Amino acid sequence: MTDRLRFHWQPPLKHSSLVVGWTDDAGKLGGGVVDYLNRKLGGRMFCEIEPVQFFPLGGVTVDDDGVQFPETRFSACSQADLATFKSNPPAAEWTKFASLVVSVAERHCDVRELHTISGMVALSAHTAPRQLVATYNTAEFKAELQAYDLVGNVDYETPPGQRPTLNTVLLWAAKRRNIPGLGLWVPVPFYLAGLDDPLGRKRVVEFYNQRFGLEMDLSDLDEQVKSQFVRLAEARRNSPQIEESISKLESNQSLGEDESLRLINDIESVLKSQPV
Amino acid sequence: MAVIFHKEPQLNKPDLIAAWPGIGNIGVVAVDTIRGQVGAEEFGEIDSWDFFYPKKVTIKGSVLESLDFPGNKFYFKRQGQRDLIFFIGEEQPSDGGRLYAEGRKAYDMANMVLDVAEKYGCQRVFTSGAAVAPIHHADSPRVWAAVSGRKLGEQIGKYPDTVIMGGTAGSGVTGMITGLNGLLLGVAKKRGLESICLMGEIPDYLSGAPFPYPRSSRSVLEVLADMLGIEVDYSLLDNMAVQINSFIGKIYDELPDELRERIEQRKLTARPRGEAITEEDARWIREHIDEFFRKGRADDRPS
Repeated sequence: MTDRLRFHWQPPLKHSSLVVGWTDDAGKLGGGVVDYLNRKLGGRMFCEIEPVQFFPLGGVTVDDDGVQFPETRFSACSQADLATFKSNPPAAEWTKFASLVVSVAERHCDVRELHTISGMVALSAHTAPRQLVATYNTAEFKAELQAYDLVGNVDYETPPGQRPTLNTVLLWAAKRRNIPGLGLWVPVPFYLAGLDDPLGRKRVVEFYNQRFGLEMDLSDLDEQVKSQFVRLAEARRNSPQIEESISKLESNQSLGEDESLRLINDIESVLKSQPV
Repeated sequence: MAVIFHKEPQLNKPDLIAAWPGIGNIGVVAVDTIRGQVGAEEFGEIDSWDFFYPKKVTIKGSVLESLDFPGNKFYFKRQGQRDLIFFIGEEQPSDGGRLYAEGRKAYDMANMVLDVAEKYGCQRVFTSGAAVAPIHHADSPRVWAAVSGRKLGEQIGKYPDTVIMGGTAGSGVTGMITGLNGLLLGVAKKRGLESICLMGEIPDYLSGAPFPYPRSSRSVLEVLADMLGIEVDYSLLDNMAVQINSFIGKIYDELPDELRERIEQRKLTARPRGEAITEEDARWIREHIDEFFRKGRADDRPS
């Protein structure tokens, strides 16, 4: 197993928690939260999972941000006793990958709980409040977190032809090692799914502030949310089509396929012209 | 990677009978029929975590209740002189997302299955699968057998409508046994265990069909049950065969005339001694029949 891990240093973590976020998440939610935690809490990378076996390595992707290569980074925010893991979702061997993540959490971070974050594409407006929908890997952990403002009444079975998500596999891997786990699902307005959802990110970070006693100053996130809202309000004023579509969503009306696609394209061109 | 034992039965020189899903599910239907009829009891399973993707999660009240994987279960039946261990896998493990077993995971699973068998003193291993052959679906499917030694070949050769593969004890027919049915045979040989793979014939044009082929499972079962000294009630399998045959008949009637005529000619020619299908046949299947099944029989599948 050790040959699949590349350690850079051994973090002095005791009774820590691990927060896992994936790149390519809706609204850049999971990866965005992990980046934020690392930036605010001085997270330093201490270990990587070797990509062989988990990612196709026949070449590299080059996109707007340049050359892309699978990222699989564990970081330690030592002062806060918090570890983070930001990774591309593996293309293969999910269970093996999840076992590796949990092994690092258990053996090198001494974790007491593991958290996953997922953006969930929703047919809602950006002005709608972001709920945190929770799944727990044990009933005991659910009871422990009862005091927090989490939606905890989900009943779900994988529909035929689909398979469980990577975060579910990870939470189950944690359960196999008796590590309590919480999966947070945050509804991301569909027209922000390919962009950025700072309000969703803020909602998750607020929860971590509370849960881990981090006392992070979130004014920068407030600014990002405000800036995005200002630009979207301006876009609504300038475009009757955008205004109509978002108003419909705000009054819980659904949009047709063409209208949804047009809204996605319109918002993308507004927000990508001057990133938040 | 682990085997989880729920019981530790005392067994006397058990035979291992293993099966996984494959073409027409011929082997797994045959083995599961016999397992059910003898009332074999589950005693262990291979932990699927390292082999498969999960197939279903159940969440209740926001708590993960279960994560279901394809099962890989061991069963036993005490018979007196020679007991039985059954192993039934719901999916073949494979590296790289291939349909049939291949690579490290398949090799590991084959070894784990045999580790359990040998732990209980097993000396003989049966697997079962399909023999894709240029036959007509009206033909009674024969059973091809690959065996680890001459004596076993002679034993199986006594059954009517069997084709023994291999050059020494067999008919000279050679070929490849893909997937875990083949791999288990090889690993068993490496360990010095007697091994037999019984393969029921399936018409080449049905080898890609998304439904089982119970007539062939029956042929396999007749040989297997007799070798194991077990009485089997075939009525369930026969009923299933009637349903499937009627379904095949309907599909057959919808085939383009040219294709149907070509298949019909097989009724008029002597049945081949068991040669593997030719490259030309394989190409023919790819070009015509597989396409036909892909196009839209799914809604019509028999229940």
